[in-house]
Amino acid sequence: MAKKTEDIAIVGYAQSPSYRQAELTEPQFLYPVISEALERAGVPRREIGFTCAGSCDYLSGQTFAFVMNLDAVGAWPPISESHVEMDGAWALYEAWVRLQHGDIDTALVFGSGKSSPGKPAEVFPLQMDPYTLTPLGADPVSLAALQARAMLDAGKITEDEMAEIAARSRKSAVNNPYAQVKGDDDPAVLLKEPYVTAPLRKHDLPPISDGASAVVLATTEKAKELTDHPVWIRGIDHRIDIHQPGMRDLTESPSTRLAGKNAGVKGKFDFAELSASFSHQEKLLCDELGLGKDVEINLSGGPLAANPVMAVGLTRFVEAARLIAEGGKKRGVAHATSGQALQQNLVAVLEAE
Amino acid sequence: MSSQPAAVIGIGQTKHKKRRDDVSLPGLVREAAQRALDDAELTWKDIDAVVLGKAPDPFEGVMMPELSMADALGANGKPMMRVHTAGSVGGSTALVATHLVQTGVHDRVLTVAYEKQAEGNAQWGLAGGRSGGMGAGGIFAPWMRSYIKQSGAPEDIGWKVAVKDRLNACKNPYAHLQLKDITIEAVKESPVIWDPIHFHESCPSSDGAVAMVLTNEKGAKKAPRKPAWVLATAMRSELGVFPGRNNVRPQAGVECAHMIYDQAGITNPREQIDMAELYVPFSWYEPMWLEGHDIAGPGEGWQMVADGSTEIDGSFPVNASGGVLSTNPIGASGMIRFAEAALQVRGEAGEHQVKDAHVALAQAYGGSAQYFAMWLVGDELDAVAKKK
Amino acid sequence: MAESQAADLNAPVVGMDYHMHVQYHEVLCPVMREFADALMDKRLIGHKCPQCGLIYSPPKGYCPICVVPTDKSHELELQQRGTVTNYTIVTPVQYHGQEETDRFAKASLQLDGGGTLSLQDLLEIPVDDVRIGLRVEAVWASDAERNVDEVTNRSWGIGESAIRGWQPTGEPDVPADELPTNVF
Repeated sequence: MAKKTEDIAIVGYAQSPSYRQAELTEPQFLYPVISEALERAGVPRREIGFTCAGSCDYLSGQTFAFVMNLDAVGAWPPISESHVEMDGAWALYEAWVRLQHGDIDTALVFGSGKSSPGKPAEVFPLQMDPYTLTPLGADPVSLAALQARAMLDAGKITEDEMAEIAARSRKSAVNNPYAQVKGDDDPAVLLKEPYVTAPLRKHDLPPISDGASAVVLATTEKAKELTDHPVWIRGIDHRIDIHQPGMRDLTESPSTRLAGKNAGVKGKFDFAELSASFSHQEKLLCDELGLGKDVEINLSGGPLAANPVMAVGLTRFVEAARLIAEGGKKRGVAHATSGQALQQNLVAVLEAE
Repeated sequence: MSSQPAAVIGIGQTKHKKRRDDVSLPGLVREAAQRALDDAELTWKDIDAVVLGKAPDPFEGVMMPELSMADALGANGKPMMRVHTAGSVGGSTALVATHLVQTGVHDRVLTVAYEKQAEGNAQWGLAGGRSGGMGAGGIFAPWMRSYIKQSGAPEDIGWKVAVKDRLNACKNPYAHLQLKDITIEAVKESPVIWDPIHFHESCPSSDGAVAMVLTNEKGAKKAPRKPAWVLATAMRSELGVFPGRNNVRPQAGVECAHMIYDQAGITNPREQIDMAELYVPFSWYEPMWLEGHDIAGPGEGWQMVADGSTEIDGSFPVNASGGVLSTNPIGASGMIRFAEAALQVRGEAGEHQVKDAHVALAQAYGGSAQYFAMWLVGDELDAVAKKK
Repeated sequence: MAESQAADLNAPVVGMDYHMHVQYHEVLCPVMREFADALMDKRLIGHKCPQCGLIYSPPKGYCPICVVPTDKSHELELQQRGTVTNYTIVTPVQYHGQEETDRFAKASLQLDGGGTLSLQDLLEIPVDDVRIGLRVEAVWASDAERNVDEVTNRSWGIGESAIRGWQPTGEPDVPADELPTNVF
């Protein structure tokens, strides 16, 4: 994709802790997250040019659940606002597009979700083809297990590697105050655990989480005015693959590869924040994005440590921005996914000045 | 960084019906999308990105349906997005697609919206699965009563709108309701569902989809048929429930309209806009939006209905297509307004074509009348200037 | 999924019924728990925004207009008498799970001394007599029957299991022009 877009910067970011079961409602835990992101950006609520949210009715089991989340924004007097029934990372994409117009210079983006009220194995089959797959109860863990099995059979990963990824994620999460699953685990010990759904063990699975994250974006000129440490989105793209898992080679992710190419994923990277909800997916994503051993993956612990669905992809941007603005990193990849077995993928390249 | 012109070069709708048992969900959206592509004389390969919109997922019981519809919409390997802003979603979805073109991110974008109400239960969904659901009409009825009280409108205004839209629908082969014999008397005698709304003053429940292909100036010049140029776009939202909120004339609706007027250089909407497709699911919303969007002054909206101005051959036709009162696949209803406005300025509305439609306004609203999406389209990029 | 009529076994299958069942269990957030506890004590509480003074009942834990948090210190007890400011008379649509069969009224109330409630049930009055300006008072479920099982984090109303509804007080109506025009 020839570059004809302006660089947009992340100038504010925040996230809630990842809760196993939040006692607060979605707007109640969103509200401080949005406030913190705005404060960090130094942009008063009323001056935001565009607001975009990502959430999902079926997650919380309420029609029009996203309407309540407007409470957390302060949508009075009225605001220019939109909502995607997708992870907040796609809300970020919509806002990134909106800022390209040049008539406004800031945007607020947030993603939020409460997975705890429902059971993922009951809720997520509704995300599959309603005629052929929903009635079979095609759930995320079963589909991920099929994918992991295919990768194992193809020699693209080993169970040892999967356990190492899980152990490293948990260890990285020790330093992340927002993470839910953390600790110092020996991969060899993890491998002694029984399978949950073969070939996946508990450590290969993400936790069930409630949580939210928010990002403030600004145009080039505005970002320079607002902060000395803007985090530049140098490229961003998203792509979707065929839905029917039987029609895909589950050991590959062409949409990730293409989105990565269009976002400009090449050259040296310090780190990547990947929405790998299952351990084997980290390997798959690294392969598709061409990320080598020198790239530090999910320093936050990633989705294996905190998995607030509908926010987890946007949280990758929050973590990446934090590493660049506060952690001295120079260049990283942020990745979000939607659907099962990595059907849809969004990739962005983030850089320091 | 800039904004470039965008235009609609392809429009497709399904036949809207109570039930479309002949097609699956993907079949329904594909029918509309294929017609839009045919209209633009493009193929699936020509499309750079797909933007899908629909109302709440629980209406059909399919969570994030863009995932399972990607195959039917030829989205494999392309960017695909799913917008959801309650009842205004059809409009917002078209606007997200428009922005992708205006900013030069993509050259040709397919946007689709649908609802297949018969494959689920929207009333159940609206009630959150509980007993005692009031339906959308239950929420809006008190506000219509407030409008009637505040404006002093005679009670037959609602009946007149109901008859006008149903007779317009008889000129639109895609419209769901085809009530040739409807009369004021029939509307008046129909049961009161949500006082003061009669059965015939409410929208039906429909299965249907609509699609549009949007492109930039270069693409529009190559299009086989006349493009409809997007002259202005706006989305505006506000809190839906708080003490003291003006429900009759929501501020977000006022501001959304003025954002459109300001962008397009419109100072007198009634004179400079030729017609409108407004989201009117209950008859009283026609005068309410005419006033709520400052097309008519306070208390003058109902007078436009009374004197026939909003008839298809009146001075300011509203919902020549038959509107939401005749066709309501919820998630698509907003985009149908946008598509019908585009159809009119292209001069391709057939029997329900409004004469001399050069500039047309389309509007969609949702939630507790708190989400608004609008666009203004013209037959030329300088269509507004040419009118002066 | 689409329903099919199974009468003719030779007819082509165009659809099938598929009833999905998804169960959700959400814990009550702290402010709703306080609200529910108060209902059990036959008290109706709300939070008053320290900035704009608007009263929210049930409380939200914040004012969505000023975007400031509210807590126990902003709690106040509302009066259990008020005036109908607007209403809907609903003819129930028969969807799966709908238990209502007769027309019923839902009213917005302005409470004496401040505070508003929306979508309240009216009792002891024929639906056709419901009107703006009507004076009403709360009717509590008996101690034995009272519970807060219907209170959820998204409660708009109050739940018939605690306050059964509102009945006319018999006082003269409040003239419409003395009532606020925009109460929900």
